[in-house]
Amino acid sequence: MRKEIALVVTLFFASLVYAGEDIPKRIISLGPSLTESLYFLEEEERLVGVTSYCLRPPEAQEKEKVGSVIKVSLEKILSLEPDLIVTTSLTDPKVIEKLTSLGIKTVTFPEPKNFDELCEQFIKLAELVGKKDKAKKIIHDTEERISFITEKVKALEKPKIFIQVGAKPLFAASKDSFMNDFIRFAGGINIAGEALEGLYSREEVLRKNPDIIIIVTMGIAGKNEKKIWERYTVLNAVKNNRVYIVDSYKVCSPTPLAFVETLDEIAEILHPETKGE
Amino acid sequence: MRKRSLRWIFWILGLGIAVAGIGLWSLSVGPAQISFKEIIAFMLKGGSSTEYSILFDIRLPRIILGFAIGGALSLAGVILQGMFRNPLVEPYTLGISGGAAIGVCVNIVLRLNNSLGVLSLPISGFIGALLVVLIIYSLCVRKGILKIQGLLLTGVMISFVSSSLIMLIMSVSRREDLHGIVFWIMGSLEEPNWMLIKVALGISLLGLIVSYIFCFNLNAFSLGEEEAFHLGINVEKTKRSLFIITSLLVGFSVSVVGIIGFVGLVVPHFMRMFAGNDHRILLASSFLCGAGFLIFCDTIARIVIAPMELPVGVITGIIGGCLFIYALTRKQNVLGGK
Repeated sequence: MRKEIALVVTLFFASLVYAGEDIPKRIISLGPSLTESLYFLEEEERLVGVTSYCLRPPEAQEKEKVGSVIKVSLEKILSLEPDLIVTTSLTDPKVIEKLTSLGIKTVTFPEPKNFDELCEQFIKLAELVGKKDKAKKIIHDTEERISFITEKVKALEKPKIFIQVGAKPLFAASKDSFMNDFIRFAGGINIAGEALEGLYSREEVLRKNPDIIIIVTMGIAGKNEKKIWERYTVLNAVKNNRVYIVDSYKVCSPTPLAFVETLDEIAEILHPETKGE
Repeated sequence: MRKRSLRWIFWILGLGIAVAGIGLWSLSVGPAQISFKEIIAFMLKGGSSTEYSILFDIRLPRIILGFAIGGALSLAGVILQGMFRNPLVEPYTLGISGGAAIGVCVNIVLRLNNSLGVLSLPISGFIGALLVVLIIYSLCVRKGILKIQGLLLTGVMISFVSSSLIMLIMSVSRREDLHGIVFWIMGSLEEPNWMLIKVALGISLLGLIVSYIFCFNLNAFSLGEEEAFHLGINVEKTKRSLFIITSLLVGFSVSVVGIIGFVGLVVPHFMRMFAGNDHRILLASSFLCGAGFLIFCDTIARIVIAPMELPVGVITGIIGGCLFIYALTRKQNVLGGK
């Protein structure tokens, strides 16, 4: 009898230890948005390695670097002895396979295409580090802020918008992209919404005559692109002086919180009359 | 005669030692600092620590793959330059790399690697390379004769066509697929699959051995095809065999590591400059020199901005190109002095 009790007790403690092991202790993040999300989840203690592109929050820049997003040093990663590596689809698939074959848990998050996917990924990440409840709360707050914005703009007229994410060649944000959600939530119509993602003809932009043009900065190119648009004075956006430049960092490495902040900014661009409400 | 044999032995020994030295150096440097003493201890005793894993799961496979691919590309370069009697020919001139690239791009865009596994990437690359080889070959064989000049021109044209096709694929593909294509085109010696590394090593060594069957023929070729024919060489058979050997070497190398330029162009020239024009020494010395050069460049790419890494092609291009221009000007000065 005694023996059996001892066995049960041992098993009980063993299972406890096992459950404890499930939550990773040393995490490496190979994507800027993943790093930022981990900080939102207050996982900075366990985060032992990041990439050189992980600039936000500023504290993340002090973590050990294991490479850039696209080219990482496997050796550096291994020497940090991680038990969980989170990567994006920007990481070389060969590197991911190698890490998996070395027995390190590696989870890849593909680029989210819309807000729902973004939230799903955020929760998946939180689950990996055992903070699902916290993530759900963050997302709940975010959704509330979003519905506040959508309510505000619901009754207003929907302007036609063109979002440019690349210059030379001209690259438009279409329905498969994240940017489309910004326009949708902020109460606008994406003139490239129906196109396949990719190269877009300037002629088509002129024909559809958007009320607003938003340029996602590509370094200095943003200002140049604005000048180029300003030459086409037939465009409503140019006539009414509504060509805007938006920071690419926010738009391109999104987290649920960054999404809302950017949405706020875009809603103000689309409907300046609601500002400060 | 005796003196020449001695010189050859000296070259092979010297290069062999150099490759071994570069290999050891490559094994001992990297962002994770592991001292030489520890490495020797690990080699003798084995182990399962992180350091052991870094040495034998990360550094060693790259060194072996670098040896195999560097050797194979240089060997292919020597053979092709000898066969065409044209110093500008390199393994990629024949459009084989373009074919492999298209194979890989199609695989990535159709997401075949998701359903068939990562190994399907090199396989589809190899299929693409083989298709191009078949096309070039069937276009250039007229009445059983392989037209050398036609071969070269067709190859160059096929390179252009395939690079345009790649651009076409890239411009209509999804953004996330683009990264995969770019990674592959940049070329990398990182290969998770040990089996593939072993196969690469086997194929490149086999290529070296088989090419020695043709070393006298290649020497005769340097006099011209007609002269080679009068020396009693079966010119057509030799050309066809050499074409097939090099195609397989290049096709396989490209499909495993992607496009790593310059090794197959620079190394053969170097060896011609220093070891002489005799293919008996040229084949082996180019193989060794190419192997050492690629391992060296990959190590530099690994450590120069550690923990970041550079694509190895960046280093092969810069080091190879600069060294070659330097050697070329120096050699001309010497010749002019005489």
